[in-house]
Formats: sequence, C-alpha cells, structure tokens
Amino acid sequence: MLEGFLLTVFACTLAIIGAVIIGALMASLRTSGNRIVRGVAFAYSDVFRNTPFIVQLFFFFYGLPEIGIYIGAFETGVIALSIIGGAFVSDVIRSGILAVDQGVIEAAKVSGLSRWTIFTKIVLPIALRTSVRPMGSVLINMVLTSSILSTITINELTGTAKIVASTTFKPFEVYLVLLVLYASLTYALSLLINTVHRRLNRAMDTGGAA
Amino acid sequence: MIVIENVEKRFGETTVLKRINLTIEPGEVVTILGSSGSGKSTLIRCINGLEALSGGSITVDGNDVSTKAGLAAARRRSATVFQLFNLYPHMTALENITLAPINVLKKPRAEAEARARELLKLVGLADLASAYPQRLSGGQRQRVGICRALAMDPNYLLLDEVTSALDPEMTGEVLDILAELARGGTTMLFVTHEVEFARRISSRIVFLEQGELIIDMPTERFFAEDGGFAVPRIRQFLTKMKKD
Repeated sequence: MLEGFLLTVFACTLAIIGAVIIGALMASLRTSGNRIVRGVAFAYSDVFRNTPFIVQLFFFFYGLPEIGIYIGAFETGVIALSIIGGAFVSDVIRSGILAVDQGVIEAAKVSGLSRWTIFTKIVLPIALRTSVRPMGSVLINMVLTSSILSTITINELTGTAKIVASTTFKPFEVYLVLLVLYASLTYALSLLINTVHRRLNRAMDTGGAA
Repeated sequence: MIVIENVEKRFGETTVLKRINLTIEPGEVVTILGSSGSGKSTLIRCINGLEALSGGSITVDGNDVSTKAGLAAARRRSATVFQLFNLYPHMTALENITLAPINVLKKPRAEAEARARELLKLVGLADLASAYPQRLSGGQRQRVGICRALAMDPNYLLLDEVTSALDPEMTGEVLDILAELARGGTTMLFVTHEVEFARRISSRIVFLEQGELIIDMPTERFFAEDGGFAVPRIRQFLTKMKKD
C-alpha cells in the first residue's frame, strides 16, 4: 500500500498547488470591476461546487475522449481535483480580498499606485495571508476527495487498499489501516497549514489571531 | 496652489459640504477646525480624490481632480496622512515608505531606500526600518505614515486628524514632527482638534460648520478678541475645546 500512499500524496500535492493557483486567479476575477469577467468566474465556482465530484470526474475521464480530448487517468484526476478545489479555494480568497481594510487601499490609491499594483502588491498578498487558515478545511477535503480517484483506475491509496482487501480477504484490517493513513495524512496537512499561517502572519496583525 | 471653488458634496439626501471656497498657496499651513461631522475630513477626501465632488471644482497646481489625468497629476503633487495610519500591514516600515516612490515615481530601489532611511531618521525611527507596523506603537506608526507621505516629495501635505487616534504622549511625538515640517516650509492642510497646536503652527485657520466654511482668517485674527473670537460660534467652540 506504500506505493498507493505515495501516489495519493503526490496527486494531492499537485492538486493543492493547482487549486490554490486557480483559486487565487478565480477570486481575483470574481472581485473584478468587469461584469462579464466576474460572471464567468462566478459561473465556474457555482457549476463545480453544485455538482458531485464523481460525476465531474466521469465527465472528464469518460466524456472528454468522446469529443477527442485524451488525457491520462492520473492527469485527469489531478486536474479534476484542482478544479473542484479551486472553486472552493476561490471562495475563501475572495472573502479575504473583500476583508482587506479599505483605509489601507485608500492610502495606496492616493499615493498614485495603479490598480494593478494595488491589487498585486497589497490586496492579494494580504488576502492570501488571511486565507491560509480558512483554506485548511478545503485542502483537507481535497485529500479526502482524492479517494474517489480510485474509481477511474488510479491506484492511489484507496485503489490499492481495495486490491489488497480483495486478495487477502481481510477487509477489516485493511480498511482500518486505510482510515488511519488518511487521518494521519490530513493531520500532517493541518500541521503544515498552521505552520504556514504562523510564518506568513508572524509580522502582520490580520485579525486572525493564532 | 490648491484651489477649491464652490465645492458641494452630498451623500444621498445629506449635504456634507456646501459651496466651499478655499485657496491654499505654497508655503501656507492652513488648519481646518470644526466639530465632528462638520465636513472637515470629507473636504480632504475630495482633494485627494477619495470622494467624487457633487458640484464645483478642485484643482491642485492647475490639475482638475475630477478628471482621470488631472487626479493622477494631483495625487503626485499631494500626499495624505490618515487618522488611522493605514500602513500596509504586510510590509516593513521601510517597504511602506518605498513602495510608491519605486512604483509611481520610478525611483531606483537603492535611492528610494536611502531616502526612506533619511526620513525615518528625521522622525527618530532609524532603528525600526525593518519593523512591521504591528510591532510599532500608534505614535511610531503615524510617524512612519508621515515618512510615507514625505517620500513622495509632495508639494502639499494633507493631514486628516492625524493625532485623533493617539494618546497625549504619542500626539506630542507626532505634533513635534509636524511643527518641524511647518518651520521647514512644507505646505500643509491640516484637519485637527488640536486647537493650541493649530494656533502655534498655522498661518491661517478656516472653520467649518455643518458643511459651510464660515470663517477664513489669519491665525492671529482668528484668536483675537475682536476677530474670530468675536463670532459667537467660534467663541463657543474655542471655549469648549479649552475645557476638554
């Protein structure tokens, strides 16, 4: 099961990076002044948050090849997980963006900084710092959701556990170990998130006291 | 020169500023006095473009703040210090001061940093260049706020109740610096409740009452028995401020 465990860690790491990038981008678009841009970004997160992940996954894995888009199972899984994660992460970062102190933004405006500079150097960096902790539960959910990748032939942790359980006829032991492994994985992730939160917010009074 | 002509500002049904006329010449220190809610801060926010005018016009060295290009030019000529400091919380004192010089004035980083250190030294914070705002006291934060404004080499310094959030000791620290700047010839428009301080440093005092500019006098005249003090509303205001 070690290989499966490592594959889960690998897939989740890629998907979390993807989700944070997509989430930051979508959150930025959702706070844009342009109505169309905002609409598209809202539609993205609404569609993906309001449909079951397994259906999205099947759509990408079984549906896309029919219209000529072929990507491997692992890639499909990581992309699908990034997309759904990104939809939830964008919610968190968007709240972070909206919570940035207006006074700080006003100070930046009157000093003549461009909207782009204000957003990239002030608003987004502050929002990302305040978002780390609330993002935690989203990222942990992504790790748990990654077990569904086993349904599209990816032998990650749950996939290998299934195989081991059916060959050893010891489902109790196997699935118990599986539960413990997922629990340790998410616990490690939450420790990591706390560390990142402390690092980034050490200097900054963001209201989110540790 | 800042020229404010017939400026009106309404928020919905409420009129906050009524036909304000005021001119600030280079080298002047003009204090705006008035009760809370008289429109003092709103006037500052109209000059730096944080509020759009409902009527009238404001020009800063000839640049009309109601046009996009005019506002950009006006903002390069003036700098604002805020009541609640509004420092960038994720940046050190030095970064707070150098951000706009580097990005707006396109100064080389080394030059901007050298100037920032010079300013920090001027306000007695040379050792705190790499401190984050959270680590600073209110008075120190405001001094960084003043450095941030000065780093833009403004022709005009707009000060919006810069000591209202500070205790008396910290207020002293900040006022000392402003007095120093006034002596050095910095043009300032100063919204404050510090009447005695205003008397010491300003060349002119204007008084706002419910959005109307009712007095515009040289400082000496304003405090004279037969000048501003002879106006019942001013006498009432000054007497009350003294008691507090």
